[in-house]
Amino acid sequence: MSQQVQIRLRVNGDAHEVAADARTLLVDLIRDELGLTGTHVGCRTGHCGACTVVLDGRVSKSCTVLAAAADGAEVTTIEGLAADGVLHPVQEALWQEHGVQCGFCTPGMVLAAAELLAENRSPVDDEIRRAIAGNLCRCTGYENIVNAIRRASAS
Amino acid sequence: MSDAAESTGNGTASGSLMGARQPQIAGARLVQGQAVFAADVSLSGMLHASILRSPVPHARIGRIDADAARRAPGVEYVLTGAEAAQLSDPIPHYLDPAPIGGKHADVRCLAVDTVVYAGQPVAVVAASSPNEAKAAAELIEVDYQPLPHVLDAQAALAPDAPRLYDGWDDNVVLSFGQKAGDVEAAFEQAEHVISGSVSVQRSAASPLEPRAYVASWNAASGRLTLYAATQNPHTLREMLARSLRLRESDVRIITPSLGGAFGSKMPSHPEETLIPLLARLAGAPVRWVEDRRESLLVGGREQVHQFEVAADGDGRVRAIRNDIVGSTGAVASLPGWAMVLMAALAMPCGYNVQDCEITYTAVATNKAPWNAQRGFGKEAANLVMERIMDAVARQLELDPAEVRRRNLVGADAFPYTTATGFVLDSGDYDAVLSDALELFGYEDERRRQRAAREQGRHLGIGVAFEVMPEGGAIPGVGGGFDSATVRINPSGQVTVLTGVTSPGGGNDTALAQIVADELGAELGEIEVVQGDTDVCPFGFGNGTGRSVVTGGSAAALAARDLRERLVSVAAVMLEADVGDLVARGGKVVVAQEPERAVALGDVARSVVTLSHLTAMGVEPSLEASRVYRAPHVNHIPDEQGRMNPYPTYGNAAYAALVEVDIETGTVTPVRVAVCHDCGTVVNPLLVDGQIQGGIVMGLGVALGEEVAYGADGVPAVTTFAEYLMPRAADVPEILITHRETPSPYTLLGTKGAGEAGLAGAQAAIVSAVEDAIAPLGGRVTELPLRPPAVLDAMDRRAT
Repeated sequence: MSQQVQIRLRVNGDAHEVAADARTLLVDLIRDELGLTGTHVGCRTGHCGACTVVLDGRVSKSCTVLAAAADGAEVTTIEGLAADGVLHPVQEALWQEHGVQCGFCTPGMVLAAAELLAENRSPVDDEIRRAIAGNLCRCTGYENIVNAIRRASAS
Repeated sequence: MSDAAESTGNGTASGSLMGARQPQIAGARLVQGQAVFAADVSLSGMLHASILRSPVPHARIGRIDADAARRAPGVEYVLTGAEAAQLSDPIPHYLDPAPIGGKHADVRCLAVDTVVYAGQPVAVVAASSPNEAKAAAELIEVDYQPLPHVLDAQAALAPDAPRLYDGWDDNVVLSFGQKAGDVEAAFEQAEHVISGSVSVQRSAASPLEPRAYVASWNAASGRLTLYAATQNPHTLREMLARSLRLRESDVRIITPSLGGAFGSKMPSHPEETLIPLLARLAGAPVRWVEDRRESLLVGGREQVHQFEVAADGDGRVRAIRNDIVGSTGAVASLPGWAMVLMAALAMPCGYNVQDCEITYTAVATNKAPWNAQRGFGKEAANLVMERIMDAVARQLELDPAEVRRRNLVGADAFPYTTATGFVLDSGDYDAVLSDALELFGYEDERRRQRAAREQGRHLGIGVAFEVMPEGGAIPGVGGGFDSATVRINPSGQVTVLTGVTSPGGGNDTALAQIVADELGAELGEIEVVQGDTDVCPFGFGNGTGRSVVTGGSAAALAARDLRERLVSVAAVMLEADVGDLVARGGKVVVAQEPERAVALGDVARSVVTLSHLTAMGVEPSLEASRVYRAPHVNHIPDEQGRMNPYPTYGNAAYAALVEVDIETGTVTPVRVAVCHDCGTVVNPLLVDGQIQGGIVMGLGVALGEEVAYGADGVPAVTTFAEYLMPRAADVPEILITHRETPSPYTLLGTKGAGEAGLAGAQAAIVSAVEDAIAPLGGRVTELPLRPPAVLDAMDRRAT
């Protein structure tokens, strides 16, 4: 039988209190309860990175986290990255460099790359490729994603 | 002033966006996660579906006990095969093998009395939440009475092999042979006869977005709306009207953003019938989202080629025999099985070999069905041709690039009819090869390779030529044309309604560029609407690199018609001659007096508000609709029964550098260089993006990706932990250059580029690995080249 739990968390700065099935994954709470569908589900096994969010300051795969375990947490999703309609430099660069094709992996890619640049202002290509190694992309072949992150680091 | 030079016709447009490196018009939405994918569609009162799938590869279904599932929390409906079979018909085949000499099998949305593959849908639950639906599905008890199964195509061809389908006298879906020229004589006279084989593994297209469907019935009108992750909404609409016994006009397919497809979202999957049926029975909208295990069921590519080649002493190939056997899994309503057929028809690719005997057999096995995968068998044709070129080079001790050069179709030979009847349209294959080799640094790399070998390092260089027939028009299926409506409103915004859809590569941007140019509108004013069968004109969606060639040309024609109308109205407004006007930058301008201009929106407003004054010379319409049928397609069989189903043949040459660790068998790709010719390039950013993605997919299928099955007939690969798609750190340097040989046939000179990259990269990487291990006597015959396979290949001494 399903058990309901109360979960309080802040998402993109907004406080939420949600009653959810205890089996609910964080990704499903974000998508279905909060309606933030920019966080995607590609595998539910933690391998593809489409569900990447920032959880208490670290990029995390939200399909590997029970929503109940995020009680009290601070979460940033892709919807929370652009400030006042101004794209984050990584978003702008991915667009301009055609580092986005279908856009399904993109939110996770953006958050992984933004974390890298927050910690390392001028990463070399190997560091860029390692930083997004947890995020699969099937469209771009990664070349333009790497170019975009390099461009964002220079901006 | 360039505009003056172009203003030869009636108010020509400026043409500034053709060839521009224009980022995607949907880019801002995509990078912010604002695109809506099918799984994001949420309707009021929506239920969630979970599908119970067969755990065994072949069995009779005895009793199904769904009582516990029906009583489970949140459950609204449980549907099994017997009930589904009463309420729905078999799903029409995308391409039925029977009318072309093969066998037919009915495909239903749920298995009725027999399952023929592990993963086949057996029952489905609709419940209030996905978790409840899944938990309930697990409560359904099915009595499976096991039958013997067969997984391997050769084994399935044995006279005593288990049969998948009652009434079939063997497991052959379709077998055919094609012969051109005098093959026997060529082999008899040949200085060299070389034989070999190559075996390609089962792989999965595996887009990042799994399939998803949301079905909703309008109680008042009885109409079905299906939000579907599909590549071909109009095709799907007709298939579902038949399987669900509906008037086609009562079916609306809406394709939201697609998160990649690569063929795997072509129709029709069983769930596309199943989810609407379930929604009707449950009396509420139903959403189903495929999980990755389910996504990896959708297979393709698994085939074995046995080839024999007759060659002269100078490396000229005189004749080829090739026998292809594909393990196409269980029969589906999907187009995938026909990839075996296309592998045969696409030979001998870009090589001038007129004496060919090619046979193929698509074999049903107890694996999940195939669907299309990027390349659609044409990649296999390219692969085997490159294996042949390498075999000739090795036997004759010639440079592999030189052997290719000696056999490529010459630049003066176009249009060139291949042995299988394809008519290669245009190009300069030799120059493309030269450019690729130069970009790669071929001579230098050969020197470095020799130096490295002296130090005990095993570098390998592979060369491959790719011919990719694109824009296909298949008799009985369709394609080869598409439709567009271009509309302007009195505020000056332009809407392009098109029959082509985008799987994620950005063809909406290319269409917007084309329309902006033709209409003289600003790019930012253009919206492209795709994928809604109630709104968009009839079209074939995406696939076979068709979207820009057909849909882009249709949009260009419609925009031209609309421009002519607007310009003639503007001529009245400006009191100018039509011939003196150009449309550019959102205005109609007197070319020699740019201050005399009127905004396109104001012209549009004049058409509708002053129709009896300014628009008397035209229909007062703000839209134009056109269809573009690609020329250079021939569906009338020649005396040998051959046809040309493709209007364009993009081509490319690849060179790849790898390093092989001969102790571990590990392959490290170092560089891939390509020179590509898809004719006129509308947007190099998009084309290069396609090529890069294709190259990396080719790398994946060459080196790692495989859906293996256990002897028990159950897939052993169910997650990305086992299905090894390339990650960012696995990808080598990629260098791209272009040659533009415009198609002499298509409206804009474009050739399809949608499937570029994969075939050539796969073949070049395979060739490079073999080149690295050749000094040790290594010979590559089996893909993928994971370390154990490379070690095996080194043990397989050349004969």
